[in-house]
Amino acid sequence: MTAASLNRRDLLLRGGLATAGAMLPGWASTAMAATQAPALPDWTLGVGDILSDIAPQPLVRVSGRAPALKGTLYRNGPARFRRGASAVGHWFDGDGLVRAWRVNGDKASLAARFVDTPKRRLEEKLGRIVQPGFGTPAGPGASVGSPDDTNPANTHVIAAGGRLLALWEAGSATAIDPQTLATQGMVTFRDDLARMPFLAHPRIEPSGQIWNIGSGGDSAYVWRLSADGSFEAGQAIALPMASYMHDFTATARHLVILCQPWVSDQARLPFSQSMSWRPERGSRVLVLDKDDLSRRREYELPPLFFFHLGDAWEEADGTIRFDGCFHADPTFALLGAPGLVEGRHEYSERPELTFVTLHPDGRADMKAAGISAEFLRSAPETAGLLRHQTIHVGGYRTDRPFARSIGIWDWRSGREDSFDFGARQLVEEFVPAGRHLIGTTLNLDARATELHVFDARKVADGPVVTWRSTVPLPLSFHGSWVSG
Amino acid sequence: MKTFFAIAALAAAGMASAQAPQSQAPQVAAANPSASASLTIRFEQITAPTGRILMSVYDSETAHDKGGKPARVGMVEVDGATATLTLTGLAPGRYAIKVFHDVDGDGQMKMNPFGMPLEPFAFSNGARPEGGPALWKAASFDVPAGASETRISFQ
Repeated sequence: MTAASLNRRDLLLRGGLATAGAMLPGWASTAMAATQAPALPDWTLGVGDILSDIAPQPLVRVSGRAPALKGTLYRNGPARFRRGASAVGHWFDGDGLVRAWRVNGDKASLAARFVDTPKRRLEEKLGRIVQPGFGTPAGPGASVGSPDDTNPANTHVIAAGGRLLALWEAGSATAIDPQTLATQGMVTFRDDLARMPFLAHPRIEPSGQIWNIGSGGDSAYVWRLSADGSFEAGQAIALPMASYMHDFTATARHLVILCQPWVSDQARLPFSQSMSWRPERGSRVLVLDKDDLSRRREYELPPLFFFHLGDAWEEADGTIRFDGCFHADPTFALLGAPGLVEGRHEYSERPELTFVTLHPDGRADMKAAGISAEFLRSAPETAGLLRHQTIHVGGYRTDRPFARSIGIWDWRSGREDSFDFGARQLVEEFVPAGRHLIGTTLNLDARATELHVFDARKVADGPVVTWRSTVPLPLSFHGSWVSG
Repeated sequence: MKTFFAIAALAAAGMASAQAPQSQAPQVAAANPSASASLTIRFEQITAPTGRILMSVYDSETAHDKGGKPARVGMVEVDGATATLTLTGLAPGRYAIKVFHDVDGDGQMKMNPFGMPLEPFAFSNGARPEGGPALWKAASFDVPAGASETRISFQ
């Protein structure tokens, strides 16, 4: 990292707006980059553009034997970052592309369709990126009547009530047809709740009941939906501080809301410019009783930055435990992720897999596993219940962005069962599918995205089967396995 | 996300001034004998043929951008995709207009629990919201002496 970028980082962390350089809109810097025509590193295939929907295509099996597995891995992630001379200013601001990886025994296929959002429609019409976002400033022609006008629906996709929900975090869920992947429209759970934020990480109980929150500065809206995705109850609650909120977690009985000291303290777009890093405030954990949201407890933790948590559980004496991927500060959100879109590996993220315990006496503590990990998942049938294992990606290094391995960490034994895909694969989230794990990687040599299935008991043995598509899809964020 | 929701709330607040004084529309014309302009506002792309459009007209950047009082307010019933309203007795000069469509006719901008406006709103001069109400510099336009016309679209 250069001295110049360090200074910029300090300014960005403090929420002070930085230099002209930091505020240079993505479209301007990309236009300059294009003029200078630098050689782009190979990993930029992971942040390339998909120009149109991908019609169903069969996958080619390149190794292994397919287990008896039938279902669809739906995944979502940004896949259009540039239009003409313009570009988004942040990895999180590209248009959501929902992918369906269908598996039926030894046959597998891929189809993908962009979520047809108001933002995408406007920018298609104008031929340039104009809407502000997490880290993208507004361009000429921007129109932002509500957060949903900037909603790229690009972060997660879940199935509920016979439809898919493509999720973002600061606006509505978008309904998608699970067969055709056609967009059905933004979801209004109840008339007066239109346009309310709905995080991309709902917590789904083994019964199917869905809990979620929507973040609104120092308050949050708690959503409770039935297993079929219909509205059951909702309530605004106060938060300990106006933290950036990407994820929360839950036990069978409690919601667990971790508030980090990256706080909103000014009204400014893009979103990231409204936040300040205030480590002196530490972190807080708010625990709410699912049956009565007014019953709340708070715990203190050291300052940390995070995007993702694992499922939580609760023990007989009231002890609550969960894991998370903790960063030292929001540098990746502020500098690392914007740089990726421009082909710059400016900052190496090292998310530390960390175990949090909230004790009945009010103390809280953290213990690091000693490995880097992101995109935590665990079996849906144990959500909110005692578990020992955490599925994750990892192997983050300083020479290249993105993960290169997957693993299952066991908190009881302190042991890891992992598989390193090596330097020529960019690794995306893997999710449980019964006894298996299923997920995708981008093969830099084949210039194509691959679908892999692992035996969850023998991850180190490598994929039991690998299929390859014909397209290099930009890296996706999150998804769901829907069996059957 | 606080930014978004705070800004949306601001948008709602900016609109709110349009809803208050329908029954006590200021008689600017009477107080301003030099006025000699009339302005017809044509509202287009109305999304629902019910309720009414409530309008605030501002004659200064400060009042428009900082939540000050409108110079005039107006209201028109809605029964189709377009509606028109004529203001008379205006002093020629620069104006900006904020409107919202009170679709359910309850006299208030409907908002979600985070204060985001849920009924259509629009600004003069084709100005678009950019995370909050359009600013004077984008929404203001000249009203000449005599009769003139402008359009406001709810697109």
